[in-house]
Amino acid sequence: MLKIIIPTIMLIPLTWLSKNSMIWINTTTHSLVITLISLPLLNQFNDNSLNLSTMYFSDSLSTPLLMLTMWLLPLMIIASQFHLIKESPTRKKLYITMLISLQIFLVMTFTATELIMFYILFEATLVPTLIIITRWGGQTERLNAGLYFLFYTLVGSLPLLIALIHLQNSTGSLNMLLAQYWSEPLKTSWSDTILWLACMMAFMVKMPLYGLHLWLPKAHVEAPIAGSMVLAAILLKLGGYGMLRITTMLTPITSFMAYPFLMLSLWGMIMTSSICLRQTDLKSLIAYSSVSHMALVIVAVLIQTPWSFMGATALMIAHGLTSSMLFCLANSNYERTHSRTMILARGLQTMLPLMAAWWLLASLTNLALPPSINLIGELFVVMSTFSWSSISIILMGINIVITALYSLYMLIMTQRGKQTHHINNLPPSYTRENTLMTMHLLPLLLLSINPKIILGTLY
Amino acid sequence: MSAWRLRVKLRSATGLLVSTRPTQRHTSPYGPLTLCRSLSTGSHLRNEFFKDLEAQLAAFRKKAADALPGSSWSPLQINPNLPPERADIVIVGGGVLGWSIAYWLKQKEMVRGGVRVLVVEKDPTYSQASTVLSAGGIRQQFSLLENIHLSLASADFMRNINEHLGVLNEDPVDLQFNQSGYLFLASEEVAHIMEENYSTQRYAGAKVSLLSPTQLKQKFPWLNTDGVVLASYGLENEGWFDPWTLLNAFRRKAISMGVIQCCGEVTGLLPPSDTKTEKLNILTKKPRVQMPNSLEYQPVECAIVVNAAGAFSGKLTEMLGIGSGPKDSIAGIPLPVEPRKRYVYVVHCPDGPGLDSPFLIDYSGVYFRREGLGGNYIAGVSPEEAEEPDTSNLEVDYQFFEEKVWPCLAHRVPAFEKLKVTSAWAGFYDYNTFDQNGIIGIHPLINNMYLATGFSGHGLQHSPAVGRAVAELILDGNFKTIDLSNFSFRRILTQEPMLEINIV
Repeated sequence: MLKIIIPTIMLIPLTWLSKNSMIWINTTTHSLVITLISLPLLNQFNDNSLNLSTMYFSDSLSTPLLMLTMWLLPLMIIASQFHLIKESPTRKKLYITMLISLQIFLVMTFTATELIMFYILFEATLVPTLIIITRWGGQTERLNAGLYFLFYTLVGSLPLLIALIHLQNSTGSLNMLLAQYWSEPLKTSWSDTILWLACMMAFMVKMPLYGLHLWLPKAHVEAPIAGSMVLAAILLKLGGYGMLRITTMLTPITSFMAYPFLMLSLWGMIMTSSICLRQTDLKSLIAYSSVSHMALVIVAVLIQTPWSFMGATALMIAHGLTSSMLFCLANSNYERTHSRTMILARGLQTMLPLMAAWWLLASLTNLALPPSINLIGELFVVMSTFSWSSISIILMGINIVITALYSLYMLIMTQRGKQTHHINNLPPSYTRENTLMTMHLLPLLLLSINPKIILGTLY
Repeated sequence: MSAWRLRVKLRSATGLLVSTRPTQRHTSPYGPLTLCRSLSTGSHLRNEFFKDLEAQLAAFRKKAADALPGSSWSPLQINPNLPPERADIVIVGGGVLGWSIAYWLKQKEMVRGGVRVLVVEKDPTYSQASTVLSAGGIRQQFSLLENIHLSLASADFMRNINEHLGVLNEDPVDLQFNQSGYLFLASEEVAHIMEENYSTQRYAGAKVSLLSPTQLKQKFPWLNTDGVVLASYGLENEGWFDPWTLLNAFRRKAISMGVIQCCGEVTGLLPPSDTKTEKLNILTKKPRVQMPNSLEYQPVECAIVVNAAGAFSGKLTEMLGIGSGPKDSIAGIPLPVEPRKRYVYVVHCPDGPGLDSPFLIDYSGVYFRREGLGGNYIAGVSPEEAEEPDTSNLEVDYQFFEEKVWPCLAHRVPAFEKLKVTSAWAGFYDYNTFDQNGIIGIHPLINNMYLATGFSGHGLQHSPAVGRAVAELILDGNFKTIDLSNFSFRRILTQEPMLEINIV
């Protein structure tokens, strides 16, 4: 693992010591090269994990997320080039340093063996994200957004610290690999119930669960493009990954403890999908759709069947790529019209046809069109939830329909129809933007050929 | 204790010599010893510390309560009057047209909070704004179909104004819409124009009637029909109203629907520095709003700028270089709107025409209308091209009344020979030097600036309908109710004026 972490750390001196004209080129190419280095990790054993050291390991659950993280760094850097043009070189380098430090923390989080190290880095990811949102965000509301983001996640995860320390004391080790075998089943007492809650709440807030999701629309909308991308693609998946890891230690009370959260998620996905239909702000729409997709992941993780785990992991990867792509598309719109309101930029298909093609593909993957991996994830989740309880198919079905509705609504509103008068002279799509979309889309489409990479440990 | 008493005695002894002793001895009923009285002129240091502590604790508590979320205190003391950093549509000009556009934009957004509208007005007292200095008349007697339709729609709006602009729990709007009609008087030479206009107006649905001199004499006995061959009288939807009330009604309703108002002046329109600003690719991205009487400014990032600045719209487009390009290019054609001063005189004539007098416009151009119920009238005339008054201020020239207005007025209405000028004011027309009709639509070079200006004196009466038209243009993409595409900037590029064929 060090062969990935050390080069990522060395990206920071690369940024600071590059010539001003070469900042973007250097960082983008080197982060792409680091992605290439991590490809050998994909050679996973079926039933065991690659134990690279006492501190780092990777198994078929963490590897796809790791790949996603590392793939996203060059994409974030490409996407940030435009809005940082007017900043001084020091500011640019600082921004890229924030992105790189976030990357370091994320890489270490996804490969950590000890749960305490996971926790520390989980919290550490908050700091660069907060700096990115509050310093480089768009409006004055970003201060509020940063506050909400920081405190929701912090308050949710403090009980986790206490729970982890207690587990360390009681079981003697928090090594994830050992904890699967050493953990004792929890009893149905108050203390064990609260232990369960303490462990899960941090990840519920991060996912986010429907009742605790208020920080997400704010943070996503106010963050600059790289912040939105990393938030939507990776940081939400930290919650999912954490839940998947920690539920192995929390049996058997999960079977009834999970009910409130299952209900909240099942209802919440319909609610947030419906809110998407009434949104006027493009980024807000995509943020709420993230909540809806993540609610599916929460349901999948909490019912704990092999198919649902496969669906959860596939959905996390698929949603990461799709959501990040949608945010990039929304940003390309914003850079041209300087407004995130959908009705003010209509009929873009005639102006920018290639960008319309990317919009189409992103919307289609968002609504889980076969044979994309979004569909595989959603389908596995729906099937396993149906087997858990037959009635849930109604809710899931309604959610799928509403997802299709708002994805197409977004597509039609921005691309089709008669264009507004004031977008007559938009600059055409830059190669940089087209590259960005292709780099998002290529993994998404190629994975549908070989989805077993992302199906997780239970494939 | 005894030392105390000794000291006290000493003090009082020296007090005999030094007479100015501000301290008073308080005597308690139990004698001088029991009262702990400090002997210095200030208060006791120990008491002071605690009193101060109390005050400091109170201040600290207040500060802590302020810092909690939900209060408006913030460590960065920013000017609260600054506009927001970002808005979707910035309307430059807070006159009746600007607020009408803001209202209709909010009315037409399909979702609450759909578009973020900011109205920037440089003078909240409206001391020089054309809206409030207008005579406030509304008529359908135009020759262009579009103008007639606009007036009809606006009159309909104003008759049902509380349906449109009524705000819950606030007073209803009372426009004081006097529907007394307009009366145009035509001489021999221009009677045929009046007849043609009459047929156009009837075709468009305006309720106008033609009157012969005898009918005139019957209807308005105070009128001298000398030289009048034909008269055109509006029977319905014509008259005058209070422009200030209309402006405030629009403003109140728009603000209640979420439009942000800012008092400031747009001193610059920044095109983005990153795109190459070839002359064909200007996109105004950030109007710079400067605060009044200060150097502080705030760039507002926006998608659309609406130029509703009235008489000062020409200055706004000049900021982008329109008009300063090479003479044979589009950029060389400036926006042909400039301020023109017009005087309005208030006269008092107790034997005047009375309550049934319409808004009379003579073929010489002199007009008057009744103002209120106390025998006051408003009169004026448009000066000749050659005699345009100076527009640097709004001072009134009473000589103009004596020379140009009074003779014609007295000739037309004999009762006006004995009148007294009580007051007068002057206002600017946003005069379209090209064809004296409004310019509505997008500017060909500036991609996101919508124009709604240049109405040359009939902007107020068309404001509700024009506001709706501009909102349709922005949100729906084209005109839906009244087609005003003839009023676009194209006619100025192709030099095809849309002139009103008036008799004056």
